[in-house]
Amino acid sequence: MSARGGFGLLIRRRRDRRIAQVMLAATALLWLFPAWSALREALKVDGLGNFVSLFSNPLGGIPIWRTYLNSVLNGIVHTAVVLGVSLPAGYAFGKLRFRGRETLFYATILFLAIPGTAILVPLYHVTQELGLFNTHLGIGLPEAALTVPFGVLLMRNYADNVPDTLLEAAVVDGAGHLQTFTRIFVPIARPAIVNLFVMCFMWSLQDFLWPTVFNTHPEMTTAAQAVATFHNALSASPVDSARYSASLVLLALPAVLLVVFGQRFITSGLTSGAIKD
Amino acid sequence: MRRKLPGEGRTAVLFLAPLFLVYALYFAYSFWFLIGTSFTKVSIGFSNAVAVGWKNYRLLLTDPAFLTAIRNNLLFAAASIAVSLTVAFAIAVLLASGIGGRRLYYAIFLVPALTPIALVATVFSRMLQYQDGALNQGLRAIGLDGLTEHWLTDSGWAFLAVIGLLAYLIGLPIMYYTADLAALRTDVLEAAVLDGAGPLLIMRNVIHPMMRSTHITVTLALLLGSFRAFEVVLLSTGGGPDNTTEIVGTYTYRFVTSAGSTIGYASAASVLVLIVAMLVSVVQVLVTRTKRGASR
Repeated sequence: MSARGGFGLLIRRRRDRRIAQVMLAATALLWLFPAWSALREALKVDGLGNFVSLFSNPLGGIPIWRTYLNSVLNGIVHTAVVLGVSLPAGYAFGKLRFRGRETLFYATILFLAIPGTAILVPLYHVTQELGLFNTHLGIGLPEAALTVPFGVLLMRNYADNVPDTLLEAAVVDGAGHLQTFTRIFVPIARPAIVNLFVMCFMWSLQDFLWPTVFNTHPEMTTAAQAVATFHNALSASPVDSARYSASLVLLALPAVLLVVFGQRFITSGLTSGAIKD
Repeated sequence: MRRKLPGEGRTAVLFLAPLFLVYALYFAYSFWFLIGTSFTKVSIGFSNAVAVGWKNYRLLLTDPAFLTAIRNNLLFAAASIAVSLTVAFAIAVLLASGIGGRRLYYAIFLVPALTPIALVATVFSRMLQYQDGALNQGLRAIGLDGLTEHWLTDSGWAFLAVIGLLAYLIGLPIMYYTADLAALRTDVLEAAVLDGAGPLLIMRNVIHPMMRSTHITVTLALLLGSFRAFEVVLLSTGGGPDNTTEIVGTYTYRFVTSAGSTIGYASAASVLVLIVAMLVSVVQVLVTRTKRGASR
């Protein structure tokens, strides 16, 4: 996008461009202030020693890497379930003709915004009955349930853009829908799968509610959950406070890296999954 | 559109079976269980439930804290919508104008919204501590001691602190605007520029109205998101002081995690929240369907 055409017209005068640059830079600095304040506190008292001590003497006895690993393992369950449900459902809603298709689709996406806290009571009961406390399945499944409506929407939107003729040829050749789905649709849908994959991991890293309620064993603690559990494991002394800030910086690391490197997939996934045409 | 083939209905059932399974267990069963529990007095062990009829709902609707939570939910949503339609929109337009460092800026605004909210909220709450918080320390360092405040324990400031935190998370609206701006026809801008309109005027009177469908997407997404993001409040103000910043998420969470026979009550609250969330979703779907219909 050049500065001359399109929206570049807005800042074609030098004075306007200066103002725009200053405003953006000032806003960005404001946005970086919290990160800077956390870093500054993390380096208080012992400097980098705060980070080192987190490895030699983990907070609450849980090494940071273990919380990353737990988030990733939950993410694997989360992703597997979401893909396993959304891919065939997206194909059915986008490419199959059957009675009540639209009604069923809209009924499905009505659940896009179910707040996790609102189904906390029943899911506590379900998790208890199935004996899934302190398991990756017990966290990954509720995460997946909340993501499935979005996944179905994303896959249906994607299926809508796959030309019918591409799949028809296979169906007419007698391949049947199951084969058309596995041999043609799934490979074609790879970009959507990658987007959904990255987002599921991101949401698992973000998830605070389910781990906090369903994990009672320290060794199952996830990265987002550790924000609270580490705090409880510390005293109010300046040293501990600095160590806690250091742990916050480290806990942010995987999510920040995922967002920075997966930005393309997240952006394209979220924008194509918005309910709009 | 090709014609329907024989047996396609049965194939559809097969392809949708996993979806039905997830919905049956996690949504249908959940709702049924919640409704049942909401008419009882029971603890989280779910044994020895006592039927209490509509009592939980009566208590709930007369509890000022619950009504405050609903009101706050809507106010916080309104605040983040207002910030998004103005600040996020302006940032997206500036980024689209081909200004230098576009990718870096985009990342700076997007990352907070996509990292764990629990973490961002915690960092905020530490930053706003009265004694050691970076904000007050910064103010003291530049001699503005008079401006230091009890950001999290004064009810007015705590309310604004939550709004500030929500404003900090406008990365997603920026993303939606950026995506849709890229698809916008810009020849209208040329005409406006030729007419001698300044950048602000063009942004407000030409581009902003053209982004109507994005405004709707953003508004509905934020409204629905406001019921989900309970960590924002839980880990910044904790709903305090005196429940003044409580939202429905933290309210329900508090009753689910507190000891005692509060689960029936929490279930009744959940049922009401679900009804509201589903109603907003119905509006969202209806708006989208009309748009789809109109554009075909």
